[in-house]
Amino acid sequence: MSSIRLDNLVKRFGDFAALKTMDLEIADGEFMALLGPSGCGKSTTMNMVAGMEEPSEGRILFGGRDMAGVPMGRRGVGFVFQNYAIFTHMTVRQNLAYGPRMRGAPKSEVERRVAAVADLLQLGPLLERRADRLSVNILQRIAIGRSAILEPAIFLLDEPLSNVDAAFRAVMRTELKHLQRQFRQTMVYVTHDQLEAMTMADRIAVMDHGVLQQVGTPLDVYNNPANVFVARFIGAPGMNLLPGRPAEGDRGLVVDLGPLGASPPLPDRLAAAARRHGGPLLYGFRPEALELGRPGLALPVTFVERIGARAVVHFGDGATAVKGVFANDVGLAVGETVTLRPDRGSVRLFDAASGRALAGEG
Amino acid sequence: MAEIAFRNVTKRFGDTLAVDDASFTVADNEFFCFFGPPLSGKSTILRLILGLETPDAGEILIGGRPVNGVGPAARNIAMVFQNLALFPHMTAADNVRFPLVERRLPEAEIAGRLAAVAEKLHIGHILHKPPAQLSGGERQRVAIARALVRDPAAYLMDDPISALDARLREETRVELKRIQRELGRTLVYVTHDQEEAMSVADRMAILEGGRIRQVGAPAEVYDRPASVTVARLLGSPMMNILRSATSEAGLEAAGGAIRIAGASVPSTVAEIGVRPEDVRVDPWRDGLAGRPARVFEVEPLGGYTVVTLDAGEARLRALLRGQPDIRPEALVALSCEPARVHYFAAGGSALGHGNGR
Amino acid sequence: MSAVPASGEDAVTARRVPRPVGGDEAARLGFRLTLPAQVLVLFIAAFPLLMQLYISLTDWAPLDGIGWWRAWELWNGFANYTDLIADDRLWSALWRTAIVMLVCVPAEFLLGLGLATLFADEFPGKRLFYSILLMPMMVVPAVAGYMFFMLFQSGGPVNDILSGLTGRPVAIAWLSDPTLALVAVMVADIWQWTPLMFLILLAGLVGVPEDQMKAATLLGANAWQRFVTIVLPKMKTIIVIALAIRLIENFKIFDTLFIMTGGGPGVATETISVYIYKVTTQDLIWGYVAAIALAILVVLSIVAVFAMKRMAAARIAA
Repeated sequence: MSSIRLDNLVKRFGDFAALKTMDLEIADGEFMALLGPSGCGKSTTMNMVAGMEEPSEGRILFGGRDMAGVPMGRRGVGFVFQNYAIFTHMTVRQNLAYGPRMRGAPKSEVERRVAAVADLLQLGPLLERRADRLSVNILQRIAIGRSAILEPAIFLLDEPLSNVDAAFRAVMRTELKHLQRQFRQTMVYVTHDQLEAMTMADRIAVMDHGVLQQVGTPLDVYNNPANVFVARFIGAPGMNLLPGRPAEGDRGLVVDLGPLGASPPLPDRLAAAARRHGGPLLYGFRPEALELGRPGLALPVTFVERIGARAVVHFGDGATAVKGVFANDVGLAVGETVTLRPDRGSVRLFDAASGRALAGEG
Repeated sequence: MAEIAFRNVTKRFGDTLAVDDASFTVADNEFFCFFGPPLSGKSTILRLILGLETPDAGEILIGGRPVNGVGPAARNIAMVFQNLALFPHMTAADNVRFPLVERRLPEAEIAGRLAAVAEKLHIGHILHKPPAQLSGGERQRVAIARALVRDPAAYLMDDPISALDARLREETRVELKRIQRELGRTLVYVTHDQEEAMSVADRMAILEGGRIRQVGAPAEVYDRPASVTVARLLGSPMMNILRSATSEAGLEAAGGAIRIAGASVPSTVAEIGVRPEDVRVDPWRDGLAGRPARVFEVEPLGGYTVVTLDAGEARLRALLRGQPDIRPEALVALSCEPARVHYFAAGGSALGHGNGR
Repeated sequence: MSAVPASGEDAVTARRVPRPVGGDEAARLGFRLTLPAQVLVLFIAAFPLLMQLYISLTDWAPLDGIGWWRAWELWNGFANYTDLIADDRLWSALWRTAIVMLVCVPAEFLLGLGLATLFADEFPGKRLFYSILLMPMMVVPAVAGYMFFMLFQSGGPVNDILSGLTGRPVAIAWLSDPTLALVAVMVADIWQWTPLMFLILLAGLVGVPEDQMKAATLLGANAWQRFVTIVLPKMKTIIVIALAIRLIENFKIFDTLFIMTGGGPGVATETISVYIYKVTTQDLIWGYVAAIALAILVVLSIVAVFAMKRMAAARIAA
């Protein structure tokens, strides 16, 4: 029973509300990512789950059991710190053996479990090395192994990949996700990198300014962002958002994008919602869902970033900025004016005032 | 003229060879990037250009003039540090003026130069604020202004945006590139982030273990890596490097899951490289030639999907557009266009790239 | 990554850096520049020692009417050193000093460590308690001595408090009983020097990485286990330094003690410093004093060198 429930959780530091009411259910065996920019309250939430900090209000339940007053050593959570917090004055073996030893496991059992974990994480040849001056990739494995040896039902990870070099990060992501799938532990993963959250998590909880913005599967938050913040934060680059208002066109409702001089039509499901709404809107579409050379928006290219497989093309015209992602052989040059059409299926509408998505997804 | 050139420069620290026989030329007005993993020697190269280190062998030229014995101040090269090193107790204006005041320039000239640099970098409206009240991007521009105000021949940056959040990094690097274009000044830039390097650089040098492995425009290095090392350093997910064997059908890799037929394959090929975006994944059907691969993991990125596959002894990755419906453990057929294959010899050096691409 | 001075651009550009000089050349230049200072230091350190050695080989005393430089006229070879070995009062003073050291320093260490552990956490009124705690260290030793002299009088506050606690009138003659006088002296020393120990150990304690402590807690270690497995190993170096400082200082215990008991009753609290003082000012046999001082210096130096080696080893290991 290692589901987690956060019930009206609030955390204040003096006058500052780091977390303004959070409700979240994490199922047994689920991989949940807490995603948001720095200062959004994700680490505070995690620290409260681990028991390092006391909630100001609300409850934390593990499998229905209230954790209030349960000290952090007794919650049965494994925790991987951002800097790994390896015991640098010990050997790798002593680090791994620490948990069972402190809990008074017999020596033979400690040895057996260390051997098993070291084997799993390929730390065998390093066991007698002192734990300082090892590479971050190794330190990370020690940190995971040190917690995993206690077989915690809940695993908490605080930005564990932020110190790993970029080339290795992709490999670590896959490994981590696969490990979790094998053990089926409940995993909570804090990160500010949407890519990590998207690739690893079963579900993502997007947070900003101490408020939970949306919870959903990676594709859910990508395809149907609940508001403008999520739309911009998820995706690389984030969603394009252009101001406009609904207007009646020749063949149904369109969005008048004002100075851009374009009025793209809306698919039926959105047309109804936009008509009901009536007021100013934000017209959103994904940079990956742009068709070149189709009538639609006419914009000059301002910048081309060729990044490996992709080319991120920046289009702009005065106040309007649109980004498109194409294959790296797209062959656009700065200064060239091109026409673009957002793929109709990818179009989303948001209320310009509140930033909330207009119903009508799917 | 602010061309910077190294001729066979070597730098040792004790037993460590930090820079090993490096030769390159940074052209005037170029955005030149040094990219490599940690401890590959990129920061040492920067310090050699600045004059904070002296080479053990070889020659360093700035603007065609040898500078081996010239001290840092006389080289007229400016540096923007990773932590920006703005003085917190001074306003932005005082920070920018600092190098000029320090040189006792006349007040009228200082004011003129400050105004000019402030206009170029669009910081006129924030000059009265102390650094603490500025956003990350604004601080960056103030630090650049301070470096540029003494009119240096070139300026250097050591991983200037690595401390920012992922999202902010994407925006700031474009901003940096724009600034460099507008200023038209030689910029030498060090980063350990390959995406950043490819995004901003006119040309880049890939460093590994103190050696320069390849120099070229990002697209050139990405499309035609000189070795397996370079191929793996650029691109995310990294290039699939697969041991290959020739059979009657042509070239086979990944336990027969990938077959390349009819290609003009170099005879000494030991490994082939295929970029993840060049791997085609189709559902497996009975009767297909070759062998299936098994899906190990699927990572949706929204606009793209990364699929990790097990085939024979090999594990490889494919980068697919959109959100295809592929599940772990499924059997799939792999293929790739011969034009998109890279060929490597046993030592790792490149033999050729597809149809001469 | 970059080891460039963090002060930034100014460090790079503001000053014209001379052409780097080669290693040997630089070392030679450095030697020449520091030569005057080295000569001075050598003179300051060596002169008193040589003078002491010279006098320790004679029977010279200031009242003999000849200048110290003519002490060779009273040459007696190594007689002072052979006397020293047979001097029972010296040996018992040494023994007493050792007892004081072995009681006071561990007591100060344990108390200091306990207090430092308390102060590593936050609690209301911490700053105030902190100031109060550091006060004994700032009291002039002579004043502290007088204070404890008053406290331990037969009709003094200590006995009053004991009377109050036991409900019977207590009139212990603290400072005139040979054993209790030693106890009183040690209490005063502990009172005065625990704060220093506390301060040094607190500095070490706040240096123990908080993340590692949290990690240990999450892995199930209780407070005592955390202390033994994380805190002590991380503080090894600083503990050795703190103990070394206090052992050396305590060996020289004099001022507070001398004002409280004057070394008495009899010789009951006569430590090595008190003994040397008495021999110097009362017996006036300076040649002998010089011999004692030198002998102690040699022994202490050997101990210090040994301790430093251990310390260096501990630092490398940490």
